[in-house]
Amino acid sequence: MRPRSLQARLLAMAMGLVVVVWLGVAYVTWVSARHELDELLDGHLAQAAALLVVQQIEAEDSDEVADAPSLHKYAPRVAFQVFHGGHLVMRSANAGIAPMTNKALGFATERHSDGGEWRVFSTRGTEHDVRVYVGEQTASRREILRAVLLSMLLPMMFALPALAVLLWWAVRKGLDPMRQLGEVLGHRRPQALEPVALHNMPSEMRPMVNALNGLLARIESMVMAERRFTADAAHELRTPIAAIRAQAQVALGAGSDVAQRDHALQYTLAGCDRATRLVEQLLTLARLETASAASAASVAPVNLSMVTRGVAAELAPTAMARHQSLELEADAPVLVTGDDVLIGVMVRNLIDNAMRYSPDGARVLVVVKSEAGQPLLRVEDGGPGMTDQELARLGERFYRVIGNEQSGSGLGWSIVKRLSDVFGTTTQVARSSALGGLAVEVRWPHR
Amino acid sequence: MRILLAEDDPMLGDGLRAGLRQLGFQVDWVRDGVAAERELATGDYTAAVLDLGLPLKDGLEVLQGVRGRRIATPVLILTARDGVPDRIRGLDLGADDYVVKPVDLHELGARLRSLVRRAHGQTQDVLRSGALLLNPAARSITLNGEVVALSTREFDLLHALMLNAGRVMSREQLEQQLYSWGYEIDSNAIEVHIHHLRRKLFPEVVQTVRGIGYTVPRLKDST
Repeated sequence: MRPRSLQARLLAMAMGLVVVVWLGVAYVTWVSARHELDELLDGHLAQAAALLVVQQIEAEDSDEVADAPSLHKYAPRVAFQVFHGGHLVMRSANAGIAPMTNKALGFATERHSDGGEWRVFSTRGTEHDVRVYVGEQTASRREILRAVLLSMLLPMMFALPALAVLLWWAVRKGLDPMRQLGEVLGHRRPQALEPVALHNMPSEMRPMVNALNGLLARIESMVMAERRFTADAAHELRTPIAAIRAQAQVALGAGSDVAQRDHALQYTLAGCDRATRLVEQLLTLARLETASAASAASVAPVNLSMVTRGVAAELAPTAMARHQSLELEADAPVLVTGDDVLIGVMVRNLIDNAMRYSPDGARVLVVVKSEAGQPLLRVEDGGPGMTDQELARLGERFYRVIGNEQSGSGLGWSIVKRLSDVFGTTTQVARSSALGGLAVEVRWPHR
Repeated sequence: MRILLAEDDPMLGDGLRAGLRQLGFQVDWVRDGVAAERELATGDYTAAVLDLGLPLKDGLEVLQGVRGRRIATPVLILTARDGVPDRIRGLDLGADDYVVKPVDLHELGARLRSLVRRAHGQTQDVLRSGALLLNPAARSITLNGEVVALSTREFDLLHALMLNAGRVMSREQLEQQLYSWGYEIDSNAIEVHIHHLRRKLFPEVVQTVRGIGYTVPRLKDST
């Protein structure tokens, strides 16, 4: 199970480490204490044996076994035996009659029949037939060690909860900046997209806050673009509606002036057409922005020549009405990838723009071909063209060339640009060398 | 009343011009900001309707330039920009009214009359000079409670004089107030209209200030 809170995690890890280190220290202390204690107590045993050996020289020979009195309540834990010529001559009250160990010299650890474990030191007296055994119950050593260990571990039992509380406070204090950041973000108004202040920010949090600020900046630019779009769309939609309203009111107020009423009604209808076209374009653009590039750029090959011919045929009547000559050069099939409907939208916008911004009687030339393996669509017109400054602003939504009498909204270019991104095509706008107007060239990538 | 209309949209401009004319305004229509500023600078207009998104020069810049030259012509901004900051900016830069498209023609006319009335220090919708009442909205004249029929020009001339009651207006000033572009003005047209006014109403309605022009006296009970 992973702790959900960072604070709990830090606390658990710190406490775990403290316990491990403490236990390690306790173990090392215990080992070294046992070693020292063994040395000390073994020394005592040897010392006691030496005393008995010295005493033995002075002791009288006797057949009686002298039983030394027990002088202290701890005495039963310590025992000794003195043998002379194979006979037990002296022993402590708690010692048996058999030698405590078979080992002739030095230390031995023996388990006795009564269950106790004894540490025994045996030595020879100055006379060779004297043997001295001094023993001590090992249980007493273990008790001392247990006491040492307890003195190590008991404080830890009490210190650990206190340490946990202190660590909890320290961790909480250390995580304050995070909680503060959370509060700052939590109390923000939804519209507030200004970056989070970086000063006083711990270095560990800077990357996170930087990333957050980057995200906020991107969101803000998106919101700004949306806001600008809404404002522009409002302008573009309100103006035709205002025109329709004004013209309709003029028609109503014209009274007996038939010419004025007819004129106003004609303009009312034209205003409706214009608003319709604008709404269609806005809807196309909105659809494009929601359609993912993946679904828009389908893999099925589309014959660009055929799509273009279809669009040109649809637009031809409009061109004829304005005495414009719409010419198409699309002799060979040119295959491109993409959705045929969307490609149609793009081609339509390009040709429609060329016709719309060219005067009556102008030429519009549409070429579809494959150039060095690259599919290419070129639309040229005999219109007024554009200055460099105007070219630079082309494709901004709702950007229209100043003084243009045509009722375009400038959305056509936005649509072409957006579709170009979807198809991965490059779109170039330049002056048409053949017709003097604008030449738009769309190149598809190599297949 | 002669109105300058600055609007770049051909369809809307055409509609506004025709509609305001139906309401009795003389309308001159310009389609870009530079022309708007040039025309406003002449000071010949009773009021102006200004679009903000004008080519060549933005409407707000036009307004700033005009106000910078101390020209007090009432300006009504008619725009699609409906943001509160836009409105505040427009009004702060010297606009007298701010209307978001689309607008009802009658409302636009009423707002223009209101602007003109206030610009001339009038508090009531009906202009009064003694027993003579002029209603700009209804375009009607009553003298001693009886309606008097006047031609469009005669009404406009009397309106201009009554708006400026107590001030002497030159013949040129009156011509500028009366005629929009495209009209041939006879040199004695104003004199002819004054003559008609005196005949239809009463001789003292308009007084001649020799060598300067004409005036409608500001009477005690006029408001």
